[in-house]
Amino acid sequence: MQTRVRLANATPAATTWLWGALACALALPAPAQTAPPTVEELAQRLRAIEQRLGGGEAVADAAADSGNLADLDQRLRVIERRLELQAEESAAKAASTPTLTLSASKGLAVKSPPPGDVELKFKALVQADGRFFIGDDTVPQNDTFLFRRIMPTIEGSWGSLVGFRLTPEFAGDSATIADAYLDLKFDPRATVRIGKFKSPVGLERLQSSGSTALIELGLASELTPNRDLGVQLQGEFAQSTVSYALGVYNGAVDGRDSPTVNPDNDFELAGRLFFEPWKNHSNALSGLGFGLAGSRGDKQGSGNNVLPRYRTPGQTQFFNYRGAALADGAHTRWSPQAWYYRNAFGVLGEYVSSSQQVRIGAAADELDHRAWQVTTGYVLTGEDAGYKGVARPNHPFTVGGAGWGAFELVARYGRLEIDDAAFPRYADRNAVAAAARSWGLGLNWYLTGNLKLVANYTQTEFEGGAAAGRDREDEKAFFTRAQLAF
Amino acid sequence: MKTSFRLMLLGLALAAASASAKDVELLNVSYDPTREFYAEVNQVFAAQWKQQTGETLNLRASHGGSGKQARSVVDGLEADVVTLALAGDIDTIANAKQLPANWQTRLPHQSSPYTSTIVFLVRKGNPKRIKDWGDLTQAGLGVITPNPKTSGGARWNYLAAWAWASTKYRDGDKVVDYLTQLFKNVPVLDTGARGSTTTFVDRGIGDVLLAWENEALLTLEQPANRGKYEIVVPSLSIKAEPPVAWIDKNVDKHGTRKQAEAYLRFLYTPEGQRLAAKHGYRPAEPDKVPAAELAKFPAVKQVTIDSAFGGWKKAQAAHFSDGGFFDKIYLPK
Repeated sequence: MQTRVRLANATPAATTWLWGALACALALPAPAQTAPPTVEELAQRLRAIEQRLGGGEAVADAAADSGNLADLDQRLRVIERRLELQAEESAAKAASTPTLTLSASKGLAVKSPPPGDVELKFKALVQADGRFFIGDDTVPQNDTFLFRRIMPTIEGSWGSLVGFRLTPEFAGDSATIADAYLDLKFDPRATVRIGKFKSPVGLERLQSSGSTALIELGLASELTPNRDLGVQLQGEFAQSTVSYALGVYNGAVDGRDSPTVNPDNDFELAGRLFFEPWKNHSNALSGLGFGLAGSRGDKQGSGNNVLPRYRTPGQTQFFNYRGAALADGAHTRWSPQAWYYRNAFGVLGEYVSSSQQVRIGAAADELDHRAWQVTTGYVLTGEDAGYKGVARPNHPFTVGGAGWGAFELVARYGRLEIDDAAFPRYADRNAVAAAARSWGLGLNWYLTGNLKLVANYTQTEFEGGAAAGRDREDEKAFFTRAQLAF
Repeated sequence: MKTSFRLMLLGLALAAASASAKDVELLNVSYDPTREFYAEVNQVFAAQWKQQTGETLNLRASHGGSGKQARSVVDGLEADVVTLALAGDIDTIANAKQLPANWQTRLPHQSSPYTSTIVFLVRKGNPKRIKDWGDLTQAGLGVITPNPKTSGGARWNYLAAWAWASTKYRDGDKVVDYLTQLFKNVPVLDTGARGSTTTFVDRGIGDVLLAWENEALLTLEQPANRGKYEIVVPSLSIKAEPPVAWIDKNVDKHGTRKQAEAYLRFLYTPEGQRLAAKHGYRPAEPDKVPAAELAKFPAVKQVTIDSAFGGWKKAQAAHFSDGGFFDKIYLPK
C-alpha cells in the first residue's frame, strides 16, 4: 500500500503532520470511496489547492508529477508557510490600521492602531422642543416649537496625556461654542482642564444636558454658574469614592455662561468636593453621594454679564436688578448637595446660596439670594435610575414588536428667594418677583438608548412681581421634547 | 484672587516637572538578523554609560525587514538611531528630511562599523550538491530568500547573484534569464531575513537559504541545529556594509543626541568590534579584534556595491524601484 510509504526526507512527526494536513487541507468534495487515495490522487488534489491559492507554480512545476511523498511534503509545507505569512501580514496590517467603529450607543469613533491612545469620537445631542403656556393672560408667552440644542461633539484623546472636547451649539440664531477644552491627564487623581466647560458648582447643572430629569433646570440651578472659561484641577481618588474639582475662572453670572472674555478683570475661584463612600459596595447606601461646592470672586460693574437675571423652569424671567444697580465686590456661592439612587428610584437635591455685594450711588448692601430643590423619579419599567438617566431600556421599542422601551415618572419641587434687602432700592417689587416656588411633573419615555420623548408640566407661583404689590400670575407650562443622543 | 491664580500656576508647573522626570530612552530601529547582536550591545553600552555618566539608559530595539523599518521611520516611528541593512534605506529617511543627506560621512567607514557577505546555508551533507550560484537554477530546487522589496538582506542576495551572473555570462539578457530562473525556484518570499531563516530551518522548506553570513553562523551555533546544516561559500559574493546613523529630527526632539551619538561610536570601539565579530559580523577595524575571533570568517572574493553597481542609488533605481529589473524577474503568481 502506498499510504504506508514513509516520507523519504521527513521525520515521523512530519509524516504524521503530513497525513493530518492532507486529511484537513485536502478535504475537497470527493466521491465516496472505500480505498485510501493514491499518491497521484493526492498530488492532483494538492495541485488544485496550489492553483486556488496562487503562487505555487514554481514548486508545482518541479514536483508535480514526481509522485514522490517527499515532494508532496515540501509542497504542503510551502502552502502552510504561505498561509502563515498571509496570517502574519493580516495581523501586521490590522496592527497598523486605525479602527473605525460606528454604533448606536457610542456614535462614530476612530482609534489609532495599538496601543490605541489616539482616539476621535463623533457624538451628537439634538433636542427639539414644543413649549405651550396655559392661562398666560397677564404675562403672555409665545407658544412655540424650537430646537433647544443641536450639539455635535468631537472628543477624544491624543496620546495618554492629552484629552479634548469640542462642542459647538447650533440651536441659537448663531453658532456658539458650548464646550472647548483640553485635559492634561497627569494622573486619575490630577487632571488639568483648560478651556471652556461647566463650572463645578451646581449638581443639576453638572448633569449632561441630555440626562436631566425634567426638560429645563430647576430654580436652584438659577443660582449656579453654567459654562465658564478657566483652568481647573480635577480628579478622583480612594477608588473613585472621592472626587474633586478646583479651578480659576473668568467668573460666570448666576445661571448663565460666561462671556467670551473676562468682563471685569476679576477672577473667580470655584471648587467642589463630592463623596460616594459606598460606591464600590453592594448595599442600600451604594447609590448615595453627597458633597459641597462653592465659589468666590469679585464682580464689578453692571449689565447682564455681571448681575444675574433669574428664570422659571418655563424659561421666563421673573427677577432682574434695576438698571442703575452695580455689582461692587465679593460674589460668594455655596451649595451642599446630594443624590441617592437605588434600583428604579432616584432623588437629587441641592441648596444654593448666592450672595453679591451691590451698590447704587452711595448705598451698598450684600444681597443673599437662596434656593433649593428636590427632584425625584421612578422608572416604571424597572430599569436602574441614575445621575445619567436610564442608560439602556431593557426592552427597546421596536415597531410591531413587543418592546416598548422604558418609562420614568419624575417630579421636582423648588423654591428661590430674593434677599428682602434687594427691595425696593435694587429691584422693583412691582416688576419682578421676590420669590418663586415651582413644582413639576414629567414622563420620560426612553424608546431606545438614544431616543427619548419627554412631556413636562411645571407650575410656578410668585411672591410679588405685579403692580401694586400683587403677586405675578402663576406660570403653567407644558413642554415636550424629542431627543436624539449618541 | 490674583494670588490664588499664581499659586495655581505654580502647582501646575510642579506637576508638569514631576511628570517629565524619567530615565533616558533610546530606540534603535534595526533590521532582521541583528536581534542578538544589539541585545548584547545594548546591555554592555548601557552599563558602560551608567558608569561613565551615572545616567540610566533604557535601550529599546525594533527589528524587521530593513525596507519596512525605514518606511516606518519615515511614517513617524521615532527612532533615535537606525542600524539598517543598506545605505539606501537610510537615504530614504534622509529624503524625508529627518537627517542630513551627508549622514554617511559622520562616522568612520562610511558609517558602517561592520560588514558581512552573502553565503549559502544548506542541509548537512549538501544533498543537492550546491557549490555556487549556477547550481541555484536547477529544476526542482527550493531556494529560500526574502523579498527584495522589503528586506535589505534580500537585496544583497539578489545583487550578489547578479554580480556573479554578470561575471559568468557577460550578457545582460542571460543575466536576467538567470535571475528569473533563480526566483522561479523561490517557493516562499518572506518579508525579512529572519523570516526566511524560519522558513528554511524551522519549517523545513527548501534546499538552500541565501543568508547573511552572520545569520548563517548564528544558525549553525544554535544547539538545536548542530550537525544539521553547513555553510557553502560561493565563488563570488558581495561586501554588504550595513550602515548606522542617528536621526537628527528625533534625537533633537527627545534630547538624546549625545546618547545616540555615543551609542553608535561605541560600535567602533574594541569592545564594539569584538561584539560584532562574536555575532558573526566582520569588523570594519579587524585590528581591534583578537585574530582568533576572526578565524571563522573565510576569505571570500567580494564585489562592492560601488564597484559593481555604481552605488546604492543606482542599484535601487535600476533593480528595486517599481518597474525595475526585479519586477520583471519576479512575477507573483
